[in-house]
Amino acid sequence: MAITIDRSVVGSEFDRTTHPPVAQTEVDAYAAASGESCPADGVAPPTFVVSLRSHRFMPKSLARLGRAGLDAGKDIELGAPIRVGDVLTTVSTVHDIYEKTGRSGPMGFLVLRTVVTNQRDEGVAVIDQRMMFR
Amino acid sequence: MILDLHTHSDASEDSRAPVESYLKWLVRKRPLLPIDGIVLTEHRQWNPHADYRALEDKYGLLILRGAEVETDYGHVLVYGVNDAITRRFDFTNVRLPAAELIPAVSALGGIAAPCHPGRPTIGLCAHYEDKPPLEGIVAVEALNGGSRRGENERVQQLIADHGYGAFGGSDSHLVSFIGICATEFECAVRTIEDLVSALQGGGYRPIDFRERLRSEA
Amino acid sequence: MSDVDTPAWEDLDVGHELSPLRLTLSAAQVRQYAEAAHMPGARFFSDDAARKEGLPGQIAPGNLSLALFSRLIVTALPGATLTRLGATFRVPVRPGQPLVVRGVITEKHCTDHGDLFECDLVIESVEGDRWVTGTASARAPAPR
Repeated sequence: MAITIDRSVVGSEFDRTTHPPVAQTEVDAYAAASGESCPADGVAPPTFVVSLRSHRFMPKSLARLGRAGLDAGKDIELGAPIRVGDVLTTVSTVHDIYEKTGRSGPMGFLVLRTVVTNQRDEGVAVIDQRMMFR
Repeated sequence: MILDLHTHSDASEDSRAPVESYLKWLVRKRPLLPIDGIVLTEHRQWNPHADYRALEDKYGLLILRGAEVETDYGHVLVYGVNDAITRRFDFTNVRLPAAELIPAVSALGGIAAPCHPGRPTIGLCAHYEDKPPLEGIVAVEALNGGSRRGENERVQQLIADHGYGAFGGSDSHLVSFIGICATEFECAVRTIEDLVSALQGGGYRPIDFRERLRSEA
Repeated sequence: MSDVDTPAWEDLDVGHELSPLRLTLSAAQVRQYAEAAHMPGARFFSDDAARKEGLPGQIAPGNLSLALFSRLIVTALPGATLTRLGATFRVPVRPGQPLVVRGVITEKHCTDHGDLFECDLVIESVEGDRWVTGTASARAPAPR
């Protein structure tokens, strides 16, 4: 079994990051690379939110998993659009842990939830990321 | 009577399909998909309190319930789940002993049937390569709508070798994949008890609607 | 499946298939996306690095598949606002493989604030193998 199912970590917050103001250059680079269009001048494309990089990607207690995982999927609820100049805060928690078997054998799944708000305390996004470990 | 014997609603962690959305889709697609009902087979769980009778009445479709569990011989669909079965087997266990599960479910009034047997690692064919065949298997899912090329075809030899009955299901996790594969029964199936009896007794075949759907697209 | 022109909002309904996107990602595009999305994993930058991780070769980040879904919705439903997007990454998407991004409307909720559409989404090979599946919710512009 890839990971030991320790459900005591479910619900624990493992990261809180306030990001530098969103730069126009970042938005332009993401739009060009993703092929998405910006909904309006100064507004980032819808999936720009997944490019935010927090201080910690994984809970410290599960750090041994390191980069061994694969991204198994994401679910994103989108709220207020991201605008150039916005100061975004991300708060990440362990949302769930479970195991299942698939084509590649036994797998552990870690679901990390990130809540994104802006400087006006508006909800920008809720992102559930599923990481798969063998 | 045609039923989709393998479906997942948003109660399964990897499905995004509300039950009602499945039914709306089937009603709309009825000329192409003459499905009379579905069996919800959620992953590794059983909710004894789930009740879909209101939706059945609203949409005129049968909704039965089972479960998809994980064993040391791959994934298995369990129909006729009851308290005795769930007391005996923890459905969240991903290593249930298939040699014990299959006869025990039968003895307790249900039927356990291996699903997507042609799939690597979690299909029966792979396990039969280096383990003895299981006792008590009556039928397997010969046609699975989520399988990749070659996986369904691999099951034909398994069925020929062991004389298993063959049924079909969509394994849908999205609304638009409901009913793409199903099972046609010669007899009427109105309850889960009817389904268990029908699968044990014979008189059914897998049915594939994918080509029909593609040609109409 | 044939490409279809987008009808007026009020004519969109359950079963409507979105005009598919057909494309092949290049290795350079995958690297460009990984850089712009701050994803430094070596698996996104080279075949050799990816193979050392047990992968068949360079893979595209799953987030790029999300972006493709977003592009599909916005292209097929101009003026729509994406409110929810989800994906399951079943098979790694690799550069150099032709792919098709498809969607179909599965629900329509009529509201005074603009109709809300639910869609099923798929990224598949030209042979029909499903690599990524997902769903999205998109709101049409509010009626004037």
